[in-house]
Amino acid sequence: MAIQKSYQEINEKIKRGDAVVLTAEEVSEMGRSRSAREIAEKVDVVTTGTFSPMCSSGVFINVGHSDPPIRMEKATLNGVPVFTGLAAVDLYIGATEAHPENPAYGGAHVIEELLEGKDVELIAHAKGTDCYPLKDIRTTINRENINDMIMFNPRNAYQNYPAAVNSSRQIKYTYMGSLLPRMGNANYSTSGELSPLLNDPQLRTIGVGTRIFLGGTTGYVSWFGTQFKTDTETNAHGVPVSNAAALAVIGDAKAMRPDFIKAAYFEKYGVSIFIGIGIPIPLLDEEMAARVMIRNDQITTRILDYGDPGKPELGRVTYAELQSGEITLNHKKIRTASLSSLHRARIIADLLKKELTEGRFLLAEPVEPFPHRKDLNPLIIR
Amino acid sequence: MVLTFPAEAIDEPITYTLIKEYDVMINILNADITHGREGNLLIEMSGEETNVREALVYLDNKQIQISPVIKTILFRESRCIHCGACASVCFSGALDMDTATRELKFSPERCIACELCIKACPLQLFELNFGVN
Repeated sequence: MAIQKSYQEINEKIKRGDAVVLTAEEVSEMGRSRSAREIAEKVDVVTTGTFSPMCSSGVFINVGHSDPPIRMEKATLNGVPVFTGLAAVDLYIGATEAHPENPAYGGAHVIEELLEGKDVELIAHAKGTDCYPLKDIRTTINRENINDMIMFNPRNAYQNYPAAVNSSRQIKYTYMGSLLPRMGNANYSTSGELSPLLNDPQLRTIGVGTRIFLGGTTGYVSWFGTQFKTDTETNAHGVPVSNAAALAVIGDAKAMRPDFIKAAYFEKYGVSIFIGIGIPIPLLDEEMAARVMIRNDQITTRILDYGDPGKPELGRVTYAELQSGEITLNHKKIRTASLSSLHRARIIADLLKKELTEGRFLLAEPVEPFPHRKDLNPLIIR
Repeated sequence: MVLTFPAEAIDEPITYTLIKEYDVMINILNADITHGREGNLLIEMSGEETNVREALVYLDNKQIQISPVIKTILFRESRCIHCGACASVCFSGALDMDTATRELKFSPERCIACELCIKACPLQLFELNFGVN
């Protein structure tokens, strides 16, 4: 008889402390000697994790009303411009917004300092209205004295991403890190078999409302990510060979921990932010078990040449090769490095496993699935 | 190298003389000189071998102490998130990612201070440090 488990059944087991939870790496190892059916029978939930630079991120804050009140039209936090086009005192700190005089400091650093509980300087300007007469304000804010800090990231947790090399004669400073000339190195940015969306490539269990680990606390999948697309080529194991699905996520930034949200600066590119995300995947049936068993040697990604403006594909590589520290491309051995911290991704998957095993984290069934067909429009210059 | 000037040599245009008379290239990296006190000048000097040798004799005659400098890399290891972005640009092997634990290991004794890690680290945890040997 086919194995079928419902979210309710698994949640009851979690509440009783009886759920069998493994990390995606543990289940990949188990898959070498056990069948999908055996794993579906034995295991209830598999935890995944990623800790990577995710540029499309930011935090909404509400700083509260001053006396007299101000309707902020232009504002900076520690000198970094923030978006004010939302009512009077709601602001959005975009992670990649840079300080006008210091390109290595930006919104991500402001977010990190707020999470650390530090004071941040707020300067705002307005034209003044009958109901909001104040025109200028200069004060400090911190995590405790502001009303809300809601992290909302329009595009996180990309499902796979190409590795980057540089065939040109000059070093290239990119969002994929420093790429040495003449293919001196190859950088990649995925946690491979531990990565959330590679363990559920068809997004059967991930949709609007999925409860996740976000930045050290509980968060939710709020929508599909911007640039979500379904037409990426898949390999023989059913996983996309390049960027495909992505998630929009939301969570209470006041409860987040700076260990799992880290500001970053990529030389001559700009500011970004490392976001820690972990997603529990319920093994509803044998098919889900087969998905989470996927190993690094079964996950492929493209190698793109950032030394050529068209970023042509130079080859394909597996995460087993990338994680070994060296790949071979056109008979040349190339050192590899990750921009994504597998070390911290494992900590996230382990933390989530502990929460589930001890009954503190329940699964949320998606209230809406993601689109089965969605392609990407380029921007036509006309 | 670091040139240490005795207080009485501060008034002399030493760098000017080195360039004009001995035809050596001087790149000043750091200067800490106050009138009437001992001062330090951190420079890189290059040129024809005989010119450099004569320039060093000139400095010696002026009672200027010459100390070779070691460039070292300072790493704020406690803030490291072990992503590994520095490891692929480190050819001396001082920065190495353990493929099993995925932890970055820094072996300062293997570092040749090429400085590539300074720009490669997204958390900006590396700094160049000049120490006198």
